[in-house]
Amino acid sequence: MASAAPTVSGKRKLCALLVEDNLLDAELVRHSLEHEGFEVDSDVVQTEAEFRARVTATPYDVVLADYNLPQWRGVEALDILRAEDLDIPVILVTGSLGDIAAVECIKRGVTDYVLKDRLTRLPASVSRALEETRYRQERARAENALKENQERLAGILASAMDAIVTVNEQGQIVLFNEAAELVFQCPASEAMGQPLHRFIPERFQAAHEEHVRKFTAGAATRRRMGKVETLVGLRANGAEFPMEASLSRVETQTGKLFTVILRDVTEQEALRRLRQRAEETLSKKAAELTRSNRDLEQFAYIASHDLQEPLRMVASYTQLLAERYRGKLDDNADKYIGYAVEGALRMQTLIQDLLAFSRVGRNGSEPKAVNANLAVHEALQNLRSTLDESRANVVCDNLPAVAVSRSQLVQLFQNLVGNAIKFHGAEPPQTRITAEKADTAWLFSVADNGIGIAPEHHDQIFMIFQRLHARAEYPGNGVGLAICKKIVEQHGGKIWVESDLGRGSTFRFTLPDCGSNQDGLEKT
Amino acid sequence: MRRPAEILLVDDNPADVGLVCDALARTPYGSHLNTVSDGEEAMAYLRRASPFSEAVRPSFVMLDLNLPRRDGRGVLAELKSDAGLRTIPVVVFTTSGSLRDISRSYELGANCYLTKPGNLNDFVAAVQALEAFWVRYAALPD
Repeated sequence: MASAAPTVSGKRKLCALLVEDNLLDAELVRHSLEHEGFEVDSDVVQTEAEFRARVTATPYDVVLADYNLPQWRGVEALDILRAEDLDIPVILVTGSLGDIAAVECIKRGVTDYVLKDRLTRLPASVSRALEETRYRQERARAENALKENQERLAGILASAMDAIVTVNEQGQIVLFNEAAELVFQCPASEAMGQPLHRFIPERFQAAHEEHVRKFTAGAATRRRMGKVETLVGLRANGAEFPMEASLSRVETQTGKLFTVILRDVTEQEALRRLRQRAEETLSKKAAELTRSNRDLEQFAYIASHDLQEPLRMVASYTQLLAERYRGKLDDNADKYIGYAVEGALRMQTLIQDLLAFSRVGRNGSEPKAVNANLAVHEALQNLRSTLDESRANVVCDNLPAVAVSRSQLVQLFQNLVGNAIKFHGAEPPQTRITAEKADTAWLFSVADNGIGIAPEHHDQIFMIFQRLHARAEYPGNGVGLAICKKIVEQHGGKIWVESDLGRGSTFRFTLPDCGSNQDGLEKT
Repeated sequence: MRRPAEILLVDDNPADVGLVCDALARTPYGSHLNTVSDGEEAMAYLRRASPFSEAVRPSFVMLDLNLPRRDGRGVLAELKSDAGLRTIPVVVFTTSGSLRDISRSYELGANCYLTKPGNLNDFVAAVQALEAFWVRYAALPD
């Protein structure tokens, strides 16, 4: 709304609506105002309808109304302004006005009245009316802002996820939001005015008081509590719960206020305990595993030395017996000594195989990217004499690099190709090695045209010391595939066989891709 | 031809001592085999302490690792840190094929590590090859 403001020339602008049937009087009013420094921009109306039209169209600073008009009384202008919700001061400018009428007009809201024969009073009256109006409007604006703030704050308090509780200097609760009602299971109406102690378990009250005392004495006005140790709250039903809280202090004219913002951390605490228990279990299992690994190593050492030594004595001396006393005892004696030597030597190979099996993956070197072609090449070199003897043919596709240690990869191929040749059928052995990508791993296949394996034995063959044939038919201890399985599984892969009797066998296994890191490729 | 080699065999197992003795008896080198059966005795022998005051400095030592009283590792460590003895070649000759024993022995300064073969013929061949190497082919100090 426009208001009287000083112009550059020092004059104050005034937009006035005059309700007057006497144009001469209107001119006099204008003159009196201009004489006192107002720059008047005015309209003159006579009827109620004119008044309503004007006043709703233009933001006037003031209404100057004659009290007695032929059609309506100027004082009724107040009713129109009120009905239109317009805050414009009304000053009556009239020829005569009795005291009783004057009092009635003031009561109805007229700001002032000025008699036409005392128009010199008018400028001061207008000035005062403008001043009062501005003051009233500013106050209304401030009140509105305050109300809005309070509403916003109430909205925040009501919708806050955290419980918010304010206590005064006497320790009485003066604010208790909806989240606090939920957390403490107590309606605000019951909590207000109560001491905060009601919501703290007795055994923690002294500590809490100390906490608040320190906080009060300190310079800080905000502090986070329960960040290190979880605090304990007390619900109205007597149940305790863990909580995290922060404390703030505000100095007001009526004294200090302490606000606690707190959160029920029962669930987090339960999760934390669960996690802690899981971690404890895990570390216990890890310790057990370490111990069992140590036992296994100890066992491996015992096997490699303490078991071998007496066995070596038996083997060596029965061999010595056989050598020196062959034909000197009877035939049975030679046969018995032969069995003893054979048994002792077989026992030695069993122990060595068991050791080899237990050593898989214990050399602890981080698997690098190893070119499988080179591993196959090395495996075939190691099998050279066997390959030549059996006139075997091994075909190998171009193979990828995989993240498996070189010696293990060589052993894997050597064992599988070695088996493919050992268990050949009537035809000369044919073996084909291929690989294809399967997600993040490689699927390798070693296929042969050998004697095949009945489906009911497909799992059994991967177990250590499991054999499907007599030693006389096919030598060996039944360790090779167990070692293959261990190598593959240690790298997170799987190994299986697809076969049937008389139809050859295809061993398939998966190994992790080396992550296309060809730079790390091991060179020979 | 050189004078016969003096071999010190440190082994507590009389059966193995017998086999080594037997194997060496069938070579043309005529080496003298001296045997002690534990680590304490081995050190006493090397230092010509009683009752080995008449002992001859060995051309090389065949040392078992697992011995009563003081074991082969202790003997190896002491021998190789003794300025007067460390030039004597030491062949570790043991049943153990453990990688840990192998690397530990070389760390301590062993000149050679041999796992006793389980098969009689291999055992005899190994002992004879060992003798041939140190007596016939290898150049020794002193």
